[in-house]
Amino acid sequence: MIRLHRVTKRFGCGTEALRNVSLRVDAGALAFLTGPSGAGKSTLLRLIARLERPTRGRIMVNGRDLGTLARRQEPEFRRNIGLVFQDHRLLFDRPVHANVALPLEILGFRRTEARKRVRAALDKVGLLQKENAQPLTLSAGEQQRVGIARAIVHRPALLLADEPTGNLDPELSREILQLFLDFNRVGMTALIASHNLGLISTLGRPVLHLENGRLEARHVTQPRSTG
Amino acid sequence: MKDGSDRAGYLEAWLYNHSEAARRSLWRRVHAPGQTLILVAVLGFVLALPAYLWLLLENARALSAGVDHQPRIALYLDLEGGGALTGTAARIDALPGVAEVTAIEADAALAAYRESLPDPALLDWLEDNPLPAIIEVLPLERTPEAVAAMEQQLATLLPEATVISDHEWVRQLDALHAAGLRVLLVVSALLALGITLILAVASAAELRERHEEIAISRITGATDRFLRRPSLYGGLLLGVGGGLVSLILLGIVVMMTRSPVEEAAVVFGIPFAFAGPQARVGLMLVGTGLVLGWIGARLGSAAALRD
Repeated sequence: MIRLHRVTKRFGCGTEALRNVSLRVDAGALAFLTGPSGAGKSTLLRLIARLERPTRGRIMVNGRDLGTLARRQEPEFRRNIGLVFQDHRLLFDRPVHANVALPLEILGFRRTEARKRVRAALDKVGLLQKENAQPLTLSAGEQQRVGIARAIVHRPALLLADEPTGNLDPELSREILQLFLDFNRVGMTALIASHNLGLISTLGRPVLHLENGRLEARHVTQPRSTG
Repeated sequence: MKDGSDRAGYLEAWLYNHSEAARRSLWRRVHAPGQTLILVAVLGFVLALPAYLWLLLENARALSAGVDHQPRIALYLDLEGGGALTGTAARIDALPGVAEVTAIEADAALAAYRESLPDPALLDWLEDNPLPAIIEVLPLERTPEAVAAMEQQLATLLPEATVISDHEWVRQLDALHAAGLRVLLVVSALLALGITLILAVASAAELRERHEEIAISRITGATDRFLRRPSLYGGLLLGVGGGLVSLILLGIVVMMTRSPVEEAAVVFGIPFAFAGPQARVGLMLVGTGLVLGWIGARLGSAAALRD
């Protein structure tokens, strides 16, 4: 699903966020990405989602070589990816259901089908009763779950999450990570950046450790387990 | 399109998508009433001004065309003897394009003049007849070009004669009208360019306000076409609004200027009714507003999305 070959990302200011990173994540696998702040976790996820371009190296996602992906092909490419952010990035000018429906609207779903899927996604994250609420009235954990519902509502093949439990207490964090495991169980490939080492080490999934832009141990993820 | 491979489903989703974009842009316009009113008013003024000038020009042309004017060409000849005059008149009558020729002897002209005077005895003071013989020519064709050609032909035929056409003023008016139209065209183009740029800036600003929504939508796979759709509808809305405002303004201005213009025409002895804007002018104004609104929004959104 994801293949990085000797990828380097250097920003305009000269900082090297990633150095010679190679990585392989098979379809249906779930892996955690850890490392201290500034280690390059977000950059790696952004490169995979094609929100950034690498300075050097090759990235293949879902069988597509991102080096040959034209700008006008990017929207089509991103429609197969779900993204979860630490700060949720919800739109506060519309209710929860409209936030979750955004990817379906972009994909041109019929209204009735979209409504069904939105409800299913909200049900999955346990927020069906809040579908008409305004995001500002929700707690941080609830907002994060709305963000997750939005990321999975169009059933993408790949889910990328950047510190999804960053601002949450341990109990909520565990719930959120459990959601990702559930999605993975039904076939969604997932790469989750988190510095919550204590929690993720208990989940029995491969952990990739990034430090100073280098992937400390180059893990090749295991095939999807039933855990 | 993942869902609904059927055509009807696609059409329904497409219509829903567009109606949502239109609804959102309307909502945004309604929730920024100050900015919306200013933009609509500016567009209205910019459309109304050339429309009013055009109306004036059209009325001026109607004035010149409305006077049923038979152009006349007068040849003033210094001739001795009636035979020569009749012969010349016959030669002119034989020319193609001549409808009618009237020859007036110098003596006949003086006699007619004497009759028109309150005290004909005054003319007895003259030692001889100062009036020339006149040949009046009515050309078949009344266009300024035909009259000018005929004038030229007569001047060549009778180089000693003074040729004067009373159709000159129509030609002058036509030339003025053509020049006026050209000026109007250039001014309109400049105004259209200006307002389009203003609308583009407004549209770009609106898109920048939506930057969070746009960023999220882009990450989710939205195309530029999808992202600018609400702006385009916004541009169309502003355009229609501007067109309607311009119509109202035009109506007010015509109402305010109609009677003084008509009174002036009466003073000049020309019966004239100032024609107001017709339905087709209204359609053109709204249509132009629509097109300018769309172009402005398209330019603005292209710039904002590129940033």
